Amino acid sequence: MFYALSTQELMEHPELWRAVHKLRYRIFVEEMGWNDLQRPDHLEIDQFDHEEAVHHLVVRNGELAGYQRMLPTTRPHLLTHVLQDLYVGTPPSGRDIYELTRYAVAPGYRDGRRGISTVGTELIAGFIEWGMSVDVDKVIIEFEPMWVLRALQLQFLATPLGYQRTYGRQQVVATLLQFNQDTLDTVRTRRNHMQPVFTGLIESRDEYRLAS
Amino acid sequence: MCDWPVGWLERYVERNYVDHDPVVGLMKQSPSSFKWRDANESIGSGRASLEVIKDAESFDLKDGYAFPLITLDGTAVMVSLGGPEFESSQQNLSIMSLVSTYAIGRAMQLSTASGGGAQQRPLTQRETECLRWAAVGKSEWEISQILGISEHTSEKHLLNAKAKLGAANRVQAVAEAIRLGYIN
Repeated sequence: MFYALSTQELMEHPELWRAVHKLRYRIFVEEMGWNDLQRPDHLEIDQFDHEEAVHHLVVRNGELAGYQRMLPTTRPHLLTHVLQDLYVGTPPSGRDIYELTRYAVAPGYRDGRRGISTVGTELIAGFIEWGMSVDVDKVIIEFEPMWVLRALQLQFLATPLGYQRTYGRQQVVATLLQFNQDTLDTVRTRRNHMQPVFTGLIESRDEYRLAS
Repeated sequence: MCDWPVGWLERYVERNYVDHDPVVGLMKQSPSSFKWRDANESIGSGRASLEVIKDAESFDLKDGYAFPLITLDGTAVMVSLGGPEFESSQQNLSIMSLVSTYAIGRAMQLSTASGGGAQQRPLTQRETECLRWAAVGKSEWEISQILGISEHTSEKHLLNAKAKLGAANRVQAVAEAIRLGYIN
């Protein structure tokens, strides 16, 4: 099940809020080694978890299986205030563009090293459906260059925003991805799941009760 | 997409160099870009590999750089750039790597589009068999003898395979069949 929550809504579900920041810590600090984000409480939180951030969650068997955070580009976001060396010229911004950050699939839900897991593709289908519902059709993503090929295969219109850089052992390139119904159809066909994944508000469900 | 010397491409397919090419060998193991020379050192010790390297040199393909990628389906693909010599800064390499990614991605989009968005019609077992023998240089008559079918039938199988693969000639059909994993 895919949910989109404002920071306020997420905070109204303390156990879910905790699961989100715990998963982020696990992935980005412990796995990827982003040591600037280390905290004694093992929760990863930064200055961009503000009231306008939108949190996308994939819940499986009462457990948080996937997560991504959408930031409006109409105010400071990672590309403009943390990753400035990833763009050349003026970074795109506007009401129709969000920045997708902290894309994460929990360790138990990764199906294979090479492909993208079903939770991973649900996050992708989810942000496209969410975007269409709020008149957003572009996202900025800072990701590994191999994702560029995946994005093109999924029928995103991809535009590089700068040169690729090496952070530690990781290569990163900032990319603008535009999407439309074709993109959604392609993602759905690849997932073998044609039904919408983003069906509305969390309040109408009870599945989010986490097993933790 | 290919801009190699035509003679080299033909020889490559005809002699099945894809099985012994150290650059292809390393591509399947390496997640990141590498110099041809490094592939020659880490993979190219066998006699068949040395033959590929020597033969490439005779076409003035002496060194180059390979940019491997993994598709969504888990297939290893790459852009390989080469010539009489190859030197480049790290900065330029990372630009070439990104350009390679877009080139492959766009090519895949176009090939999906030309297939009507649908999957290509799969090759039958017989068509695959005929192509496999064609790939090792057998004539239609020889293929018909090997498979116990008429020469006309083997010709028909090869024509069907060529059409399904969207190939202009038999060399391209064999190359496509290898790329799609029907034969290796």
